Amino acid sequence: MTRFIESTITFPYKRSLGPVVGAFMTALTEKKILGIRCRDAVLVPPMEWDPATGAELPHEFVEVGPAGTVESWTWVPAPSEQHPLDHPFAFALVLLDGATTPLLHAVDAGTPSAMSEGMRVAPRWRGSRVGRIDDIICFVPGDMAETEGEDTGGAGEPVTRMDYLASITYRNPVPEAADRATEASREHRLLGLRCPTCGRVYAGGRGLCPVDAIELGPDCEVDLPHTGTITNFAIVTPVQYPGQTETEPFVRAFVLLDGTDVIIPYSAVIELPADRVKVGIRVDAVWASPAEETEEGGGMGGSWGSLLGWIPNGEPDLDDPDLVNRIF
Amino acid sequence: MSGPSTDIAVIGWAQTPMVRHTDKSETQLLMEAITDAIDPLGLTRADIDFTCLGSCDYITGQAFSFVSNLDAIGAWPPKRDSHVEMDGAWALYEAWLRLQEGDIEIAVVTGSGRSSTGEPALIYPMEMDPYFLAPLGADPLTFAALQARAVIAAGIADERSMAEVAVRARGKGDVESLLAEEFVRLPLRRHDVPPITDGAAAMVLATGDRARQLVKRPAYITGFDHRTECHNPSFRALDDSPSTRIAAEAAGLGDAPVEVAELQAAFTHEELLLRRVLGLGDDVAVNRSGGALRHNPIMATGLCRVGYAADHIFGGGRRALAHSTSGPCLQQNLVCILEGRS
Repeated sequence: MTRFIESTITFPYKRSLGPVVGAFMTALTEKKILGIRCRDAVLVPPMEWDPATGAELPHEFVEVGPAGTVESWTWVPAPSEQHPLDHPFAFALVLLDGATTPLLHAVDAGTPSAMSEGMRVAPRWRGSRVGRIDDIICFVPGDMAETEGEDTGGAGEPVTRMDYLASITYRNPVPEAADRATEASREHRLLGLRCPTCGRVYAGGRGLCPVDAIELGPDCEVDLPHTGTITNFAIVTPVQYPGQTETEPFVRAFVLLDGTDVIIPYSAVIELPADRVKVGIRVDAVWASPAEETEEGGGMGGSWGSLLGWIPNGEPDLDDPDLVNRIF
Repeated sequence: MSGPSTDIAVIGWAQTPMVRHTDKSETQLLMEAITDAIDPLGLTRADIDFTCLGSCDYITGQAFSFVSNLDAIGAWPPKRDSHVEMDGAWALYEAWLRLQEGDIEIAVVTGSGRSSTGEPALIYPMEMDPYFLAPLGADPLTFAALQARAVIAAGIADERSMAEVAVRARGKGDVESLLAEEFVRLPLRRHDVPPITDGAAAMVLATGDRARQLVKRPAYITGFDHRTECHNPSFRALDDSPSTRIAAEAAGLGDAPVEVAELQAAFTHEELLLRRVLGLGDDVAVNRSGGALRHNPIMATGLCRVGYAADHIFGGGRRALAHSTSGPCLQQNLVCILEGRS
């Protein structure tokens, strides 16, 4: 049975708005909706360029709505977590009074039988507005705009940026080779896979030979040595992005295993400070003791499992100018 | 636009099993599809001069996911390679352009996607306009429903003709019982909507004499074009597809009749709209494969359309059309004309 692993990726985007979208978003905080003049048309939402020709439009804004007419609609019987309302609603193309193109937005109509083409709708404004399209929570039937909660007023200054948090959860299969490599690490074995066609050896539970494009099964497994040489390294000065737990500069080294062509990339090092790391240092593998074992494994992550990293073993450094080129 | 001076032809293709949920990684799917495409031609990966892969990081859930997909092409010694964050049909377009340079003979293109990795209904809204649409969770079903309404209002489709498309595509069900089902997005019912499919496809292209050495009846690409429209469906006439029409004209659809057409219509009304826009009469066999309504491996769905059109030529057919699309409400459209020669 293939094992699956679930992970959630979030992207906290900060989007700059530019002169046209920015003006629209700023106006939203003042409970106004702006279109832009494009020849004889008034485009809503406003665009920087003529959608037909790509020509830049002069910044000639026109206040539209706030009420409008439903041109077309569909019903959402089971809203998702991303939708503006948590109960069934309509998505509609709303032609705001004074506009010539429709705006897509939600209409809180209760039931689909309350929706019709040509019906009048008006915004339900959020009380506290930041300059996002969802400052309009949704539209409601009728000509009267409403405000939900205490009205905290306009932004007072131009809105130039918009936050958008994208978050996606994925479920990925874990290659069996990766699980086997992790299991072997529990016994303090460093597992490699030798390609039967080209003879190259790969570590890290990759499970295939990228040169010959074939899968490598358990019959290809070999035990790799636990000593090697640092061929190259980076000193990473951590930037405090979300999820970064490191606070001080740290080393990531590439280790060439003795008697093989195998490079263990991006390796953690132990008892080797950033100001002492250099090419040619001889190192031994360090494995987690039973007390240090965790679900997530050692300091290397992924299928390296209980391998914590590499420690200088006291042997004399190697002086080989070609070492630095070995990162693959 | 006429075709290039060098003959460029599809000489083979393969697809993985198309399933709701695969245990294989995208790289594994591609390894299988590429091997299955080149093996019957007597080719090895070493014979491939250029590869272009079509896939999508958002679907895979990994930045630069195409880098691990390179493991499937055997890129050592280093190969000429490219990638499009688009359906494999656009990878095919790039390979067709590349082969016109005349210095290489064989290209492989792929399309791959594991839609089951994520939740498509939640991922696609994030690909929409980031200012006006993504924050509302404007999803593909909603856009499709709004386009279906426009197509129905224009008299091009109705709920019955849409159900008929679904029955024909899937080869099961009956129109009356389908029409008794609830709407998932009015006027769309479950049968109007594509399945979620994992899968990959790979296609082999070859130039002139090399193509004729390798297969008896190459499927020559005689016309190829793609066009796009404004990103926001609010600014478009949803009961028309001018980009499809222009691409078809540029690809030479009007020069001679086609016997079959494979259209990337994920929703039933899209097939009816595309038939109208392309002027396909009842004498043209449309989506005999079942199309995207039967299997919809996102990023490979369009390439499969070209594959099925090529199968028609391999089997003795004279002329076939393949169509692919991208973006909400048929925003961008690609038309490829394939021909056989006696």
